Amino acid sequence: MLAVVEIGGYAAGYCGRLFAQTGNFVTRIDMGQTLPAWTSKEAMDVFLHSDKSMLETQDRNEVNRLVNSADIVVLETSTADEIEQVGFDGWSCPVKVVISPFGRTGPYKNWQATSSTLLAMGGFTNLMGDPDRAPLTLPGHFVEFQSGGFAYAASLACALADETNSIDIGMLEVVMALSQFTTVMWHCASIVRSRHGNDFWSVVPTNLFRCRDGWVYINIVPGFWDPFVAFLELPELVLDERFVTNTRRMQNRQELHEITAGVLAKLTRNEVQQRAVDCRIPLGAVLSFEEVLDDVHLAARNMWISRSTPSGHAVNVPRLPWLCHDKFPTDQLAHS
Amino acid sequence: MANGPLRGLRILDLTHVWAGPLATRILADLGAEVVKIEAPMGRGPRFYGGIPIGGFIGREPGEEPYNNNAAFVKLQRNKKSVALDLKTQEGRQVFLDLVAKSDVVIENFSARAMADLELDYRHLQKANPQVIHVAMPGFGLTGPYSNRVAFGPTVEPMSGLTHVMGYDEHELRSTAMALPDPIAALHAVSAVLTAIQKRAITGFGELVEMSLHESAVSAHGAWIVETQLSDRKLSPQGNKHPAMAPHGVYSCNGDDEWVAIACRDDKDWRSLCSCIGEDLDAKLNLAERKSKHDEIDRQISLWCTERPPEEVVHTLQENRVPAGHVRITPQMTSDPHVQFREFFVPLEKNTPIPGNPIKMDKVSPADWTPCPRLGEHNECILKNWLGLTDEQASRLKHLNIIVDKPPR
Repeated sequence: MLAVVEIGGYAAGYCGRLFAQTGNFVTRIDMGQTLPAWTSKEAMDVFLHSDKSMLETQDRNEVNRLVNSADIVVLETSTADEIEQVGFDGWSCPVKVVISPFGRTGPYKNWQATSSTLLAMGGFTNLMGDPDRAPLTLPGHFVEFQSGGFAYAASLACALADETNSIDIGMLEVVMALSQFTTVMWHCASIVRSRHGNDFWSVVPTNLFRCRDGWVYINIVPGFWDPFVAFLELPELVLDERFVTNTRRMQNRQELHEITAGVLAKLTRNEVQQRAVDCRIPLGAVLSFEEVLDDVHLAARNMWISRSTPSGHAVNVPRLPWLCHDKFPTDQLAHS
Repeated sequence: MANGPLRGLRILDLTHVWAGPLATRILADLGAEVVKIEAPMGRGPRFYGGIPIGGFIGREPGEEPYNNNAAFVKLQRNKKSVALDLKTQEGRQVFLDLVAKSDVVIENFSARAMADLELDYRHLQKANPQVIHVAMPGFGLTGPYSNRVAFGPTVEPMSGLTHVMGYDEHELRSTAMALPDPIAALHAVSAVLTAIQKRAITGFGELVEMSLHESAVSAHGAWIVETQLSDRKLSPQGNKHPAMAPHGVYSCNGDDEWVAIACRDDKDWRSLCSCIGEDLDAKLNLAERKSKHDEIDRQISLWCTERPPEEVVHTLQENRVPAGHVRITPQMTSDPHVQFREFFVPLEKNTPIPGNPIKMDKVSPADWTPCPRLGEHNECILKNWLGLTDEQASRLKHLNIIVDKPPR
């Protein structure tokens, strides 16, 4: 078990959550800073900080004492100068990781940022939304939580190697590191990837479609074309020259989208989903968070753990996203 | 092979597409010895009919186009390649012999694939009781959806994200970029390292299930808790934020030029007002700014449309207001800050490839190696790990159990 001290916002909080949920002892030092969140403070606290020891203090000596007795310290600041002001470099904790918007060096090291400005600078925002309208930012805390994930990986790797290290994680670089094929598409094919609403664009049909009682997303990569026409119950499309290859489907995307939309509009979400299962095509229904909470698959896999809020409400919180087994899970045998 | 704290950790990597290869690239950047176990056709056919989605690395297909698919190459630095036919009995045995010498096996096949090859955890565990098997099927190995087909774009709406993203509740939008994949990649890295930490205590390996679906759901945990605590209906709000105002993406002078601007608190707001001028009331609090968000957006837009994005960003940053230019790739790679920190690594035929955001001693792109050719390390791995002789390796090659080109 490692002793971990966490100071800062949602990136440090997510990193600390991973340590706490994997059986390590995490102390969160709350230095009185409240950051804007996409949810209430109570929801964020329950999600991020359950299973941690919490300490509210601004006493530098107390902070130093706790940090210096820990195996790992995770600090998150809003600028590089703040890293020095907190005293990070003087801490003697063997593994120190600091997360900041632009990292410890470089011309923007003291620039101000939020998740939305980092997504913009990191190339994500330009890809989301409609081509003739404002790009959309990504709601939620993707930037912070992924930065926390990198901090977890780096600091645990050093601790496992029994290696002293000081780690610098810049959130802008986290965003850029997690880009899809966007950068090589420009440098290797001279194509600027841009936004196309819900259309993935280069693989057709890959889009959001309305059905009678909701929406579903379909992602038909070339190997799934034949099962897809079976799904549509339009087997004649297999021989239709307009759609024989992905390139042809891209050229005739509008017609194919109209055909697909016409079929799905007559079906309920459950009927569409069942057809997708029967034909083995990749399809996912748009679910609200209430529906996610009621999802039978997640329930069967014990996705939820119960935690109490400070005001005494019992709520379901997602467990760690991975499951560990010392034996092969037996109901897989039925599938295989 | 890269240096770093994971030096000495041996990983057999059977992953493909995005989430898995990104996970193993991060582990390889940190020094793990990652050996890609590739199917002979794993990189596609010997001859390509078209241009892959990200083009060819170096802009040319070359004599080995299957080794030059840029979207593939981008994810494979610091790895080694063994191209092995697991569908033959002898190939399968070679793989199990490698498992016996490894710490981790990671794959993102469908739930049935490893069992169909008789290479699920029951078999891996027999070959090596200490091995950690990280399986990344879309919906996990068990449960009602375990046999469904899953890709990032179809899992994303099932996580709840699409329901809160869009221009309004009638115009939902997905990210259209398979966001669950990079989330799962980071979770898989965390899962591998956590299992290594646990093995150091127990002495035994384990099976770790990393479902793409659960990974995405987990990332939205705060919203899931909020849903249970609040009567507030969560729905898309365009670029608005529930706790920041103004918060938006604004058109600037230029073709499709935009900036993201956000005021985290009253101080940011006052600074923004000082930049934009008298039409904005610097005394408004958050609740007032939220109620007048559309009017404030109009004022900001008027100011932005008269200026190029660089000017908007620099003016606001000088006044400590968060602002960022909505960038396309060439603007990202040529950015002075990004260049100063040498984030993009020109390892693959001078193509800038995103680096690793973990900066620390002993982890340096100067030590990194480019994507290996298909089967480049066949003989070296089989000889060094398994002690095969030249004759034995040649025999495997003659039988096409190991290959260095896709079959004709």
